[in-house]
Amino acid sequence: MSAVDTTVERTSPPDDLHEGGRTGLLDYATTTDHKKIGILYIYASMFFFFVAGLLALFMRAELAEPGLQILDNQTYNEFFTMHGTAMMLFFIVPLAIGFANYFIPLHVGAPDVAYPRVNALTFWLFLLGGLTAFSGFFTSGGAAAFGWTGYVPLSDSTYSPGAGGDLWIVGLALTGVSGTLGAVNFVATIFGMRAPGMTMFRLPIFVWNMLVVSALILFTFPVLTAALAMLFIDRNFGGGFFDPAQGGDPILWQHLFWFFGHPEVYIAILPFFGVITEIIPVFSRKPLFGYRGFVLATLLIGAYSFSVWAHHMFTTGAVDGPFFSATSMLIAVPTGIKFFNWISTMWRGKIRFASPMLFSMGFLFMFLMGGVTGVFLASPPIDFATHDTYYVVAHFHYVLFGGSVFAVFAGLYYWGPKIWGRMFDERLARIHFWLMLVGFNLTFFPMHQLGLDGMPRRYADYSAESGWQPLNVVATVGAFITALAMVVFVVNFVKMRRSGAPAGDDPWGGYTLEWATSSPPPHHNFTRLPRIRSERPVFDEKHAEELEARSNRENRKSGTDERRNTEDRRG
Amino acid sequence: MRIRRPIVAAGCCPVIALASCAPQPANSQGAEVKTLYDIFTIIAAVIFVIVAGLIAWSIVRYRAKPGDNELPDQFHSNVKLEILWFAIPTFIVIGLFVVSAIALGTVNDEADDPAAVVNVQGFQWGWRFDYEGSDVSIISRPDEPAQISLPVGEPVTFVITSNDVQHSFYIKEFLVKRDAVPGRENRLPVTIQEEGTYGGVCAEFCGLLHYDMPFIINAVPVDEYETWLEDQASEQASD
Repeated sequence: MSAVDTTVERTSPPDDLHEGGRTGLLDYATTTDHKKIGILYIYASMFFFFVAGLLALFMRAELAEPGLQILDNQTYNEFFTMHGTAMMLFFIVPLAIGFANYFIPLHVGAPDVAYPRVNALTFWLFLLGGLTAFSGFFTSGGAAAFGWTGYVPLSDSTYSPGAGGDLWIVGLALTGVSGTLGAVNFVATIFGMRAPGMTMFRLPIFVWNMLVVSALILFTFPVLTAALAMLFIDRNFGGGFFDPAQGGDPILWQHLFWFFGHPEVYIAILPFFGVITEIIPVFSRKPLFGYRGFVLATLLIGAYSFSVWAHHMFTTGAVDGPFFSATSMLIAVPTGIKFFNWISTMWRGKIRFASPMLFSMGFLFMFLMGGVTGVFLASPPIDFATHDTYYVVAHFHYVLFGGSVFAVFAGLYYWGPKIWGRMFDERLARIHFWLMLVGFNLTFFPMHQLGLDGMPRRYADYSAESGWQPLNVVATVGAFITALAMVVFVVNFVKMRRSGAPAGDDPWGGYTLEWATSSPPPHHNFTRLPRIRSERPVFDEKHAEELEARSNRENRKSGTDERRNTEDRRG
Repeated sequence: MRIRRPIVAAGCCPVIALASCAPQPANSQGAEVKTLYDIFTIIAAVIFVIVAGLIAWSIVRYRAKPGDNELPDQFHSNVKLEILWFAIPTFIVIGLFVVSAIALGTVNDEADDPAAVVNVQGFQWGWRFDYEGSDVSIISRPDEPAQISLPVGEPVTFVITSNDVQHSFYIKEFLVKRDAVPGRENRLPVTIQEEGTYGGVCAEFCGLLHYDMPFIINAVPVDEYETWLEDQASEQASD
C-alpha cells in the first residue's frame, strides 16, 4: 500500500434520507436501501422466531405429562414440523442475512450492496415463502406434519394428502430462491465494492464468514430447490422419484435433503461465529488473535461441509463405510480451533463485560457443549444408539440455540445502537442473559439423558411407565423461563426504541467501519472513511498516537524486533 | 466481580451431562457401543474441562479493572502455536475415528449361521415379525404389542423393512437401531447376553401414532426359545 492512500471523502446528497420523499411504511415497502432491508429482515425473522418459539412452548407443555392434554397428535406433528422449518429457514438464516445486509456494505466501506433491487426482491420472496409455508394452518388438512426434514414416503401424497404439504414445498422453494439471489448479491458486493485500502485480508471476519456462507448457499440451495420440485412432482403429477414401487428410492430424498441440510447447519452457525468474532476483540481491546488462521479455518469448514451430509443417515443402512464418519470428525478440527483463537484474543486483554460480550461468553460455553456431543454423533456405533432420540435434539439445540441464538442477541445488543441510534438498558440485558442461560440449560441439558434413556424425538406422547416424565418436566420449566427471557428482551427493545440513551457514533470503541459513521448511518452510509491500513481502521485512527508511541518505544528498546512490528502493521 | 462465580459455574455444569450414562447393554453389540461411548466420554470430558477452563480463566483473570484505560498489549498471532493447536485436535479425532471404525466393524459383523433370522416389517402403526424357516408370524394389534422370544447367547439377525413409510427398529438396551425403509432390507445382527424382557419402539417419525408402536422381546434360554417357537408354529397352524 502506498502512502498516498489517505482518507477517502464521500458526500451524500442532502435530501436522500428518504428515497423520493416517501416516509413510514410506504418507504419500507418500496425501499432498496440495504439498511432498511436489513431491518426488515431482522423484524421478519424475529417474528418467525417468536412464532416458532410459541409452537415450542405448546410442545413442551404437552410433554410435561404422559397422555395428550393440550394438543392432539396431528396438531403436535404440525407444530414440531413448523417449529423446525421456521427456526432453520425463516429465522436463523434470514436473521444472519439481515445482519449481513445491514453490515456488509458498512464493513467494506460501500454505499449499498451491488444489486439493491435484487436485494429488495430477496426480502419479499423470503417473507412470502415463510407466510406461504405457515398458511397451511388455515387449510382444512392443517400445515405440513412430516417434520422439517420432509422424509418420503411420509411426505408423499398417499401419507400426507392435503394442501399443507404443497404449501410447505412452495414456501421453502421461494425462500430458497431468495437465499440464492441474496448470496449472489453478497459475493458481488464483497468482491466488487470494497473501499480503497480494504484488501481481502483486512475484511472484518463477519464479512469473510458471510462470503463462505454465500458460497455454501449458492452450492446447496439449488439442490434443495431441485429436491422440492421432485417431491412436488411426486405429490401432484404422479412422479416416481422417491417411490420404490415405480423404481424410485426414498433414500435419494435423504441424500438430496442432507446435501443441502448439513451445509445449511453451517449456514446457520458461521454468520454467528462472525458476529462473536467481531465482538470478542472489541471487548477485550485487542486484535483478533490469528486472523489468517481463522479465515483458513472458516474456508476449511466450508469445504468440508459438503462431504459430511450422510452422517445423518448412518442408521438407514445405505451408507456403510466409515467415510462420512471420518469427514464429520475432521470438521470438528477447524471448528474447534476457533475456540483457541477466541481464548487467545481474550488472553492478556482488558475485558469489559457489557451485554454483547456476556452473550458471546454464553455462546462459547454452550457451543462448546454442542460441538463436543457432535463428535459423539459422528461415530456410527454411538449414532446407532442415539440417533433420532432426544440426545440429538439436545445436541443441535446446544449448537443452534446455545450457539447461534446467543450470538443473535450478542449481535442485537452490539449493533442495535448502530441500527437504531439508541442504547439498550444494560440491567435488563443482564436479566435477559441470565434467564436465558438458566432456561436454556434446564430445557436442553436433561435431553442428553432423556435420549440415552431411549426417548425418541418427535413423540407427541409417552407412557407413564417409561420413566421419562421427571426430566421432561424440568425441560418444560426451562422452556417457560426461556420464554420469560424473551419477554424481558422485548421490553428492553421497546424501551430502547422509546427512550434509550443516544448511542453516538461509536459506543463500544469499535474497530470496523460501521463505527466510523453516524448511528444510524445516512442513506449512503459514509460522509468520510478513515484510512484503511489494517482490519481495524477505526481503532487505528483513534489510537494512532498511542500506537505510534508504543512502536517507537519498542524500536528503541530493541532495534532487532522487526518481525513483531511487521505483525503489528499486518492487515 | 459480581458475576464471576455464576459464569464459571455455568461453564462447568455441562460436564455433568458428559458423565451421564448410556443404559446397561443387554447384547454384545451394545457392550461394544457402550465401551466406545465411555472412551468418547472420558476424552470429551478432558477436552471440555480444558477449553471451558481456559475460557473461564480468561473471563476471571483478564477482566478490565475499573478506570484502567490503557490499551493492553496488541499481539496478533503466533504461527507455531496455531500449528500446534491444529495438529493436536487432528490427532485426537483420528484416534477417535480409528477406535470408532473398529467398533463399527464389530457391531455390524453378522454371524454366518445365526440361530434365528427374523424378518421385521414396520407399518403404520405396528410391527410384523416372521421367523425364517418356520411359519411363525407375529403381528402387533391395537393395544396389543407384538411379543416375540429370542434365544440368549446366540447370534440373531433381524432383516428389517417397511411396507409403507419409514420406521426405525429400536430397543434402547441393545444400543443399536436400524431404519425400516420401503424397498430396502437392512440387516441388524444382535447377540443377546442377558435374559430379560426388552421393550422396543419406533424411532423414525412415521405419522400420527409414531409414539405408539411398542413391541416386546423376551430373551430366554435356547431350549425355552425352541419350545416357544414350536408352540407358536402349531398354534398358528391350527388357527
